[in-house]
Amino acid sequence: MSFSPGHVRTAVLTMRQNRWRSLLTMFGVIVGVASVVTIIGISEGVKNQITNQVNVYSKDVITVSSRAANLNAFGVSSVPAVSTLTPQDVSAIANIRGVKASVPLEILSGQAKGDRIFHGAVVIATNQNLPLVLSQSLAFGTFFNNQDSNTYSAVLGANAATGLFRDSIPLGYSFNWRSQQFVVDGVLNNFSNTLFSNDTLYNNAIFIPINAANQMSLGNRSIYEILVRVTSSRLLPIVDKEINTALLATHSNQHDFTVLLPSQVAESNTGVLNLLTELIIGVAIISLFVGGVGIMNVMLVSVTERMHEIGIRKAVGASNRQILSQFLVEAITVSLIGGIIGIILALVANGAIRSLTNLSPTLNWQIMLIAVAISMGIGIIFGLVPAFRASRKEPIDALRND
Amino acid sequence: MALIKLEDVSKLYGFGDATTLALDGVSLAINKGEFVAVMGPSGCGKSTLLNIMGLLDRPTHGTYKLNNRLVQRLRPPQAAKLRRDTIGFIFQSYNLLPKLTVLENVALPLTYKGMGLTKRLKQASGMLERVGMQSREYFYPSQLSGGQIQCAAIARALVNSPSIIIADEPTGNLDSAGSRLVMELLSEIHKTGNTVIFVTHNPELTRYATRVVYMHDGMIIEDEKTALGQVATTARRQLYSRPRKSVEDDLAGVSLLMNMVEEKDLASESVKTKKSGKSARRIATKRQRSKDETE
Repeated sequence: MSFSPGHVRTAVLTMRQNRWRSLLTMFGVIVGVASVVTIIGISEGVKNQITNQVNVYSKDVITVSSRAANLNAFGVSSVPAVSTLTPQDVSAIANIRGVKASVPLEILSGQAKGDRIFHGAVVIATNQNLPLVLSQSLAFGTFFNNQDSNTYSAVLGANAATGLFRDSIPLGYSFNWRSQQFVVDGVLNNFSNTLFSNDTLYNNAIFIPINAANQMSLGNRSIYEILVRVTSSRLLPIVDKEINTALLATHSNQHDFTVLLPSQVAESNTGVLNLLTELIIGVAIISLFVGGVGIMNVMLVSVTERMHEIGIRKAVGASNRQILSQFLVEAITVSLIGGIIGIILALVANGAIRSLTNLSPTLNWQIMLIAVAISMGIGIIFGLVPAFRASRKEPIDALRND
Repeated sequence: MALIKLEDVSKLYGFGDATTLALDGVSLAINKGEFVAVMGPSGCGKSTLLNIMGLLDRPTHGTYKLNNRLVQRLRPPQAAKLRRDTIGFIFQSYNLLPKLTVLENVALPLTYKGMGLTKRLKQASGMLERVGMQSREYFYPSQLSGGQIQCAAIARALVNSPSIIIADEPTGNLDSAGSRLVMELLSEIHKTGNTVIFVTHNPELTRYATRVVYMHDGMIIEDEKTALGQVATTARRQLYSRPRKSVEDDLAGVSLLMNMVEEKDLASESVKTKKSGKSARRIATKRQRSKDETE
């Protein structure tokens, strides 16, 4: 096969002469490549964000959840109907060596009403260790401590604060929850929130002391998660093992809980994302396929139209192979340019997404290289049939065709 | 030794009832250095013969030896190679690629030889100079006159320095000046030792040829060697179509027409109501009858 620069020149010339047709031909490939690259970019970006977040907020944090909670990675909605974690588990974990602090998260139902009702609010009963475990600081005020953990005080997530109160700093304000008045002690800093992570939950949360919750008659309660911060990253595997042993003891040897290392949390959070990404890429591949068929169609027409030219080329000595490579190069050029336009569109789309949403898509050169390779592949696959047709023609038949 | 040797070559087109015999057992040997003119009426198989000789087409029957090598059943790559290296084709409709400049068109055969860009453009430019077209290198075919385009086409045919030039009515679309230009070029090529085979309808152009082949209904009916600069005798008589009419037949035909005109004039002068065509026919039959009687 000889791919001379002359072939590329002829291809570009032909494309320039049929601008509209070439553009429409490329359309399928453009859309396909643009969507694949955009989606991969978003997905990669979100994954990076999640990983970064895990590193920032829960780098040395082991997450213990009931088994059901692990099935669903969508923050709030993953609240299990019945959790198997109990206060005994919390104290058992707290006694393990290497545990710096542990914090139970107990999600409670009921509407909170301050200046207004904030519908997104989630009331979470927890203990004073939360800021330490999540390594999050407070924007205003203080977190409830051991002493006042019996009182009806609360700390708000950033969204909950603005949702409940008109005042931007609602320290000392009170809100009602289940006919009980709570006073706001502090407001947490915003968790830089990402899709598919617990941080959305934290921003919307109203944290109340678990002892306060104990004092209220709240009926069925269950611990959603226990977060455990270890003293150093080195100890993660050991503590992980110890927690497992301890919990097996308290759960009478029933393995009805999950202990997740930070890396595993990130994984479980990205699972759904991966699935979604794969689905969308699947659709985009269909688009690429349709684009390829479009190229094939146009190339077939082009071959028929240019039969006379093929005849002339053969008459002056072009071999079947040379004609084949000429048309193949044309198909590849069309799809390659389509792919490059697609990548440019994807870059524009990702820029727009970056500036309009809090997602930060990342595009690395590997993805672009793969996209270029895929579009070239499409050109080859769908250009072969027309190119073969062109090359197989007897010279005299091709020449007669005017 | 013959450069081109066709033996009992036939070419059939179509299937079943619609089969046409374009070439009917043609045997022809052309030696190196000959300048052969092929003449004959339209549809007599001249182009088919040239296409087969130029390896653009394959004979249905018979053998074709080019340079003592059997070539009628060559695989496409070998045929392409032979076309590229030993044969230069010139067409009636020029067949330059309209999207390429004259220079690029001329360089096209070299492209398929795998020559580098600069080298082939240089060589093509040299060839254009030889045909007197160097000033038009960067023109597109649509910007040139027919004669100029054909000169470029000749340059293209020559650029690979092939030993055989095959020209299918190279002057068919040209005026007399253009024809002259093209034929002078061809004859110059012939002088450098090339074998040139061309089809023409113009008997005058047989002056350039050393040999004239007359075809009719797919067969060679006359093969005549001529001296350069002279119109071939058969061509001079314009008798390259069969069945031949005698001079007498022609005269009778002419006189018949003359009489018809005469009668028509008379009829229109005397009796206006009579239809002239009718009377002419009647007179014609009368004449015929009297002629038969005399014989």
